[in-house]
Amino acid sequence: MATTISGPRRPDPAPLAGRATRVVAWIRELAGARDLTANLVRRDLKVRHRGTFLGMLWSLTTPLLIVGLYYFIFKLLFPQSPATDVARPDGRSVPFAVYFFAGLTIWNLFASSILTSATSVTSAGYMLNKVYFPRAILPLSTVLSALVTFGFELCVLLLVTLAVVGLPSAQLLWLPVIVAVVVALAFGLAMLLSAVNVFLRDTAHFLAVFVQLWFWGTPIIYSLRFVSRRPGLARLLKLNPMTGTVVSFRNVVVLNHAPSFKLLAYDVGCALVALVIGATVFARFQRTFSEIV
Amino acid sequence: MADVAVSCADVWKSYRVYHQRSHTLKEKVLSRRNMYEEFWALKDVNLEVAVGSTVGVVGANGSGKSTLLKTMAGILFPNKGRVTVNGSVSPLLELGTGFHPELTGRENVALAGSLLGHSRRDMERKYDSIVEFAGIENFMDIPVKNYSTGMYTRLAFAVAISVDPEILLIDEVLSVGDESFQLRCHERIAELRADGRTVVLVSHSLDTVRALCKRAVWIEKGEVRKVGLSHEVVAAYLGGVHQQVADNRPRQPRPENRYGTGAAEITSVSFLDSDGDESPSFCTGQPFTVRVAYAATEPIDDATCGIAVFRADSHAYVFGQSTHGARIKLRLSEAGTIDMTVPALPVLKGQYLVTVSLERAEVKEVFDLHDREYSFVVIDNPALPTGDGLFHVPTTWTLSQSTVPA
Repeated sequence: MATTISGPRRPDPAPLAGRATRVVAWIRELAGARDLTANLVRRDLKVRHRGTFLGMLWSLTTPLLIVGLYYFIFKLLFPQSPATDVARPDGRSVPFAVYFFAGLTIWNLFASSILTSATSVTSAGYMLNKVYFPRAILPLSTVLSALVTFGFELCVLLLVTLAVVGLPSAQLLWLPVIVAVVVALAFGLAMLLSAVNVFLRDTAHFLAVFVQLWFWGTPIIYSLRFVSRRPGLARLLKLNPMTGTVVSFRNVVVLNHAPSFKLLAYDVGCALVALVIGATVFARFQRTFSEIV
Repeated sequence: MADVAVSCADVWKSYRVYHQRSHTLKEKVLSRRNMYEEFWALKDVNLEVAVGSTVGVVGANGSGKSTLLKTMAGILFPNKGRVTVNGSVSPLLELGTGFHPELTGRENVALAGSLLGHSRRDMERKYDSIVEFAGIENFMDIPVKNYSTGMYTRLAFAVAISVDPEILLIDEVLSVGDESFQLRCHERIAELRADGRTVVLVSHSLDTVRALCKRAVWIEKGEVRKVGLSHEVVAAYLGGVHQQVADNRPRQPRPENRYGTGAAEITSVSFLDSDGDESPSFCTGQPFTVRVAYAATEPIDDATCGIAVFRADSHAYVFGQSTHGARIKLRLSEAGTIDMTVPALPVLKGQYLVTVSLERAEVKEVFDLHDREYSFVVIDNPALPTGDGLFHVPTTWTLSQSTVPA
């Protein structure tokens, strides 16, 4: 007979514990549920691609279609491309489609993270009511499955860049940092949005519209220099926490430039604020999830 | 205290019962306020579950049983009071929690296992026994949406009983499935009990509670009405429900399994462990006592009390004993008890059914006979060698020189 003891060990809610202790306990609890998190990510990916012949390749169809469409519009219909002034230090030119694809790849990581995680708690009602697990792994696992899809798209992007443009530089080493900032920002917002969506189901609908606007407010299809003639607009764009990560990602992956450190530092700050607010709101409301969902 | 597995101190839990809950902004703005009523599902519950005990929770529908269990599991949080849990907890509130129809059996086992708190290594270790129990080796790699209901239930059940926590919380899971499931489930609970784990069981089946739990709690309208030995609590609960006198009498045998002239009546049958406490399960090789309580309308001098034991799965007749066979003169007067003690229970793991009769010794005249109306569970004794068949047979093995491994 098996004598090992397993099962989730629920931390004792110690009301006298300080804030730091509680944060450590929370992180430890999340880490303790890593097998469950991994299984939820696996489930998301498998369910999405099960029964399809192309499997993961399907996640590429939307970005490729969009890139093709915008390439057609800006390259053929309006030859005044918003990103024509781009050149690499090694003198190779970057086609607009690759430039755009790069921005879109990192944007998709962010956008699909927050879009799918907004409903992550409300759609898990059947589990919330039957077992205990640290609730935050619901938004976490949706962010992580977006990260896996992103990893796949990134491989394609790197191959395309290698084939069409040329070798990357040592600046590529900044890539993990930039991705980490995006994931942290997305997870912070994911906790906030998924908790709010429990009480106000409008959130997910509102978010779908808002993310569209946010896309145009981020220099993905155009460069920051393109708006530099309008200083007011440029300043506004720099308040967008995704500006720095998109610009830096594109710099290190296709342009062989250094990241935009100033903007990236601002994004790190935004990500930390998002994590703190997200975790606080989530922790405040998570106890009632199982009753309302 | 270290020997308390679960403690509830002044636990209050209320639900808001909304007449119409607004989930969208429009509804929130347009309706002036949410109309709701406060419903108290738990009112000042104080309870301590000792480590290693098996406790049943009984009560009518809506009495707060499930709320109590969910509060212990951490799924619900009390409005007031504290629930303290000492150890790892696995709640079994339904079968197949977390199963996804698109995933294969294999994938669902991993997912559901991690949802119940198992690590991946745990699940890999248990995987073979889960598949073996479910009996669907050939179907583990197809999506469960293509399973028959029976296959799905078997797999879900196999995952559920694979849990191995320090504290197990069970809600009605036992009531699904056929007899072999129930038997396996009872065995599993008995194994966990023998291993010193704590089990809290919510059930509508009073027989289950009495058969599996030494102690029980009766909850009514969110309040604890009685805590104590399970047969007492069940009797009190039945008394409360049916306005009967709580007389420590177990359930009435089903009429089709009972016959006799009624000159003497069997009023209760219980199984006692070595401490003389009522127990639902026993280890092979341990003392086992059947206590028969009776009432007779007038004294009977030439009576005999017979006890017969059958396997629950095959209904094989395992053994039968009687006072007459033991050459004991038995005189039934108004009321009394008869104990039959087996110093070392020889039967192997399984569930057993018991027939008890009061008859006239020499002539065929049955006063009262309850046919296979009582049951107990036997589990493996870790101190004894394992064996197959009906009985534990003490053996010695002698090896010639050439058969001894080098």
